Amino acid sequence: MAGPMEQFAIKVYKPINAGGYDVSFTNSSTWMAVALVAIAIFLYVGTARPQLVPGRWQAAVEYVYDFITTMLDDNVGPEGRAFAPLLFAVFIFVLACNLLGLLPWIGAFTPTSHIAVTLGLAVLVFGIVCVVGFWKHGLHFFTLFWPKDTFFLLAAFVALIELLSFLSRPFTLAIRLFANMTAGHVLLKVFGTFVVALGSFGALPYVFGVLPLAVNVALSALEVLIAVVQAYVFALLASIYLNDAINLH
Amino acid sequence: MPQFEIANFVPQLFWLAIFFAILYFAVVRPTLPKLGRVIDARETQVTGDLDTAANAKAQADRMASDYDEGVAAAQGDARARVVAAQASAAKQLEAKLAESNAVIAVRTAAAEADIAAARQHAMAEIEGVAADAAGDIVEKLTGTRPDPSQTATAARTALG
Repeated sequence: MAGPMEQFAIKVYKPINAGGYDVSFTNSSTWMAVALVAIAIFLYVGTARPQLVPGRWQAAVEYVYDFITTMLDDNVGPEGRAFAPLLFAVFIFVLACNLLGLLPWIGAFTPTSHIAVTLGLAVLVFGIVCVVGFWKHGLHFFTLFWPKDTFFLLAAFVALIELLSFLSRPFTLAIRLFANMTAGHVLLKVFGTFVVALGSFGALPYVFGVLPLAVNVALSALEVLIAVVQAYVFALLASIYLNDAINLH
Repeated sequence: MPQFEIANFVPQLFWLAIFFAILYFAVVRPTLPKLGRVIDARETQVTGDLDTAANAKAQADRMASDYDEGVAAAQGDARARVVAAQASAAKQLEAKLAESNAVIAVRTAAAEADIAAARQHAMAEIEGVAADAAGDIVEKLTGTRPDPSQTATAARTALG
């Protein structure tokens, strides 16, 4: 039986080499593409003919859009609206990858369970935060780390800690999502293994497999929740970081 | 864990960059602003409709108060007219009553005068008859007829 980590194995579908770099098309790439296509269908159908009184698809897209704009309004303010498309793209991409990876199908793969993907998204968010911060405030952006009205030495010490915590943001953002996805899938796999192992108990077949199966059903529901919540947390933290860059304190 | 194999990073980051760029520039950017415009239009429409409704309500209220005022004015006018009509009717009635009273008084006076004249005439006739009768009675008792002036005086004294 396959180990719980094998579901995260990268399988190369089409080896590609560009300028000495390995850019092979893998199962990870495939599921990012599936997520992209699903989002594209969702958005293009939902906004094909926008109506004042929305239909079902449009209402669904509007719901997500409203969710993002409300988040930006609450955390950033009126200037945050300009970043609505970016935050929307990040949120819906993470959400689609998380949810599609939960499909109970042998080929299903969760790109967001790989730190390369989550780190890529987190670095994108972090990079945009830095660019916006320096573009808007210039070198004043560094005052983000400097506590006001504080004794110089203490302030310097706090500033050092603040700088470190600022620099660790992309990593915490990436590791949070990756760890949640990985842990959830490992747990599902482990209990799935229990179902088979206990269910094939020779003297009394199937009976003992019921318990881990029930646990797995409950866990699947929990994983759907976690898939949504982690996409929300990712977008929420991105909007909070954006707020730092736009409004400083 | 396959997640920590550095060899897996570059292909995943490469395709992530491509797919996320497609997602952002070819999917989200062309579609989402359309939705934003529709949502804005809806908000404008809703606030506009609410304003229109508020205006219509204000107008209706104004019309209702105008109507009430008109009704009140008409009622007051009607009441004043009724009072005036009643007053003029009473005055006319009084005038007519006075007129008819005068006519009646004139007629009563004339009738009373007629009655007095008739009574005087009747009295004169009764006096004559009584004097004659007295003369006849005296003649039968005494055999002599008294002087007619004497009987007339006696009758007038007895009757008067």
